[in-house]
Amino acid sequence: MPDLTADSPQGILRRGWSAAVDDYAIAGGWARGGEALLAADSAGGVHAFNGKSGAGAWARRGTHDGGLLAMAVHPGGTAFATAGQDGRAVVWDVADGEPKQTIEVGAGWVEHVAWSPDGKWLAAACSRQVCVYGPNGGEVWRSADHPSTVSAIAWSTAGELASACYGRVTFFDAATGELGQKLEWKGSLVSMALSPDGDVVACGSQDNTVHFWRRSTEEDSMMSGYAGKPSALAFDASGTLLATGGGKKVIVWSFHDGGPEGTRPGVLDLHLQPVKTLAFARRGMRLATAGRDGDVVVWSLDKDGTGEPIGVAVLAGYGTELCWRPDGRALAALDAQGGTTVWRIG
Amino acid sequence: MNTPQKVPVTILTGFLGSGKTTLLNRILSEDHGKRIAVIENEFGEVGIDHALVIDADEEIFEMSNGCICCTVRGDLIRVLGNLMKRRDKFDYVLVETTGLADPGPVAQTFFMDDEIRAEFSLDGIVTLVDAAHIDQQLGRSDESTEQIAFADVLVLNKTDLVSGEALDRLETRLREMNRMSRVVRSKQADVAVDKVLHLGAFDLDQVLERRPTFLEPEYPFEWTGVYPLDAGRYELSLAEGPDPAMSLVAVSGQGTDDPALRDGAEWCVRRYAEPAKDVSPGEVLPFGQHVNLALDSPGRKSFFLEVGAKTRIGLYAQHTAEEFDLRVMDAAGSAIKEEAERTWVAQHEHDDEVGSIAIEKDGDVDPERLNAWLGKLLAERGVDIFRMKGFISIAGEPRRFVFQGVHMLFDSQPDRPWGDSPRRNQLVFIGRNLDEQGMREGFDACLI
Repeated sequence: MPDLTADSPQGILRRGWSAAVDDYAIAGGWARGGEALLAADSAGGVHAFNGKSGAGAWARRGTHDGGLLAMAVHPGGTAFATAGQDGRAVVWDVADGEPKQTIEVGAGWVEHVAWSPDGKWLAAACSRQVCVYGPNGGEVWRSADHPSTVSAIAWSTAGELASACYGRVTFFDAATGELGQKLEWKGSLVSMALSPDGDVVACGSQDNTVHFWRRSTEEDSMMSGYAGKPSALAFDASGTLLATGGGKKVIVWSFHDGGPEGTRPGVLDLHLQPVKTLAFARRGMRLATAGRDGDVVVWSLDKDGTGEPIGVAVLAGYGTELCWRPDGRALAALDAQGGTTVWRIG
Repeated sequence: MNTPQKVPVTILTGFLGSGKTTLLNRILSEDHGKRIAVIENEFGEVGIDHALVIDADEEIFEMSNGCICCTVRGDLIRVLGNLMKRRDKFDYVLVETTGLADPGPVAQTFFMDDEIRAEFSLDGIVTLVDAAHIDQQLGRSDESTEQIAFADVLVLNKTDLVSGEALDRLETRLREMNRMSRVVRSKQADVAVDKVLHLGAFDLDQVLERRPTFLEPEYPFEWTGVYPLDAGRYELSLAEGPDPAMSLVAVSGQGTDDPALRDGAEWCVRRYAEPAKDVSPGEVLPFGQHVNLALDSPGRKSFFLEVGAKTRIGLYAQHTAEEFDLRVMDAAGSAIKEEAERTWVAQHEHDDEVGSIAIEKDGDVDPERLNAWLGKLLAERGVDIFRMKGFISIAGEPRRFVFQGVHMLFDSQPDRPWGDSPRRNQLVFIGRNLDEQGMREGFDACLI
């Protein structure tokens, strides 16, 4: 694949490869331990690329009538799920792009899919319900209607699923669907991230705040002052830092030393446009952020949440998703113009 | 990366049976070559090839601060958020609300959500009104009152079911409630598409150009007389009257029929908004200019009119001819009979608690004082202010500022340069039980 869009990356970002999908690149992920990169576009195209060279392996188009909304790679790296406006979730084989299971989730849009960390369960959110499917694609349980459309789902452990919607976060037993803890807050929760140990639940809220709860104590706090809707949240692998996007400045809360209550967050200030996607590398405290103008920055963070930019690059369009290769030696970025760009980390 | 053009959004509201779906079908079936997405909250019978129709359950999201002005429509944020995830976006979005929908949260969504605001612009709110039933609905439900108050365009539909007189009365009532909107009459929602779509900020311009009296609740003059004159010098003679001075605008080329008089009146309203030139007895009156006739000396006073070529002149006077025994006389001293005459009756009723306040002032405002005043006004009365729109002349700014708002949210941006046109502030507020005098005084204090 020729280099189409990478615009002289700087710092630790080294030119890798780039490719294009057919429409707005909406979701992606590394598979097979980083040997393959998957990228899906909003029109329903799914593309697999060789992770090192960017050579196209296969492509499927028209996977979901009306459009594709979400994708999740199975933790084993050999399968992935997509979901779309057609009310379906489909499980695919990474090797050849053949569909393995087609699941009719419901009549509305299926906006979120997530595999449990052990790869046993696939959760899908459709309108006001969440559903969990077993290894053969069979439905294990389906929740009652939430008070509003489910806005996010995440696994706290291999045995427990969390959902967010207007006014609350709800936990469900993975195997039975039995209702667990319910955390309430009068606000429209638009994003959710769980700490790696599952104790902290952080949600971005429509009113430009980040709300979080400690499940063990049921204490909650609200962080305000965001310039935009915090639709991107991520914990680092150690659970020390919570990075939050929304405005031009990326705010990093540190849970080190009893924080973040009463502490000052790290403020990462380099983007000229609001940051709507960010991702931590699996090891170390490296954070990648992308702004609406296509600028991508990699930051090296300290335990207190402060950090320095160590790599900068520019995409052809607004960055929609950032995916670190599992070994942290490459970073992939998807953009609104359909670009798929991979940088090596020097 | 280029900044993409924002996609315009029109909101269609109106009670069940008012004709929303008919109007929607009409818009969609017209050959406009646009790619339109429709978001509906009621299952309609729309099935048009050019459009993507998305059904979404109405989801009203209140904020933890309890402020109704911050309430948004979660379903719209979600659906619009997905619509913008396309390389080739839609050209236009239509949102059809349920009959009972509160238009506030729908409109606020386009101000409150930063992502929606970056990609979409609220082009206008079109409210359909069932002419046969709205009178009862207005008495019974807050929703229909608010749908009227929020509208940029009021489509007075099913006019064939109501008498002409009742329609006029209804239109007057609706205009009193919302002086900002354009009223369009229709039988079966047969409205030209360009009357409801792509209104933009410039529509306000057109509304103000055409009908500046939307901004003035009453004409500032009571009487107009039209006189046919040949070239020559004429005398305008006035006796002693109730006031020591009188405002007047003399217009040449005046027509005599009602539309011509109305056009003249609309034009003269603007002249009246300009500072008056003092004219003493014995002086010549300029045409097309707001003058203040000095009438404080005893006895009859004479002013002069110089006519270059045969024409009709219109005199738009602050008081009726009768009050000062106003006469126009030729050089020989014989009175010219007026060819047409009319008095302007100020219609100003306050049957509904929802009404409009319009402020029109020449001059520049101090931006800091304006911000402080508007901030305080919206903090205290934002809940009762449904819409506001207008143009502002900010001191030192070569461009005029256009602003619009919903409840306490507002947005202002620079618009075209003022150029040679007079710098003027025009603001319209639509709200419930607004303190008109207080607001006028508050704005006046922002002027430099």
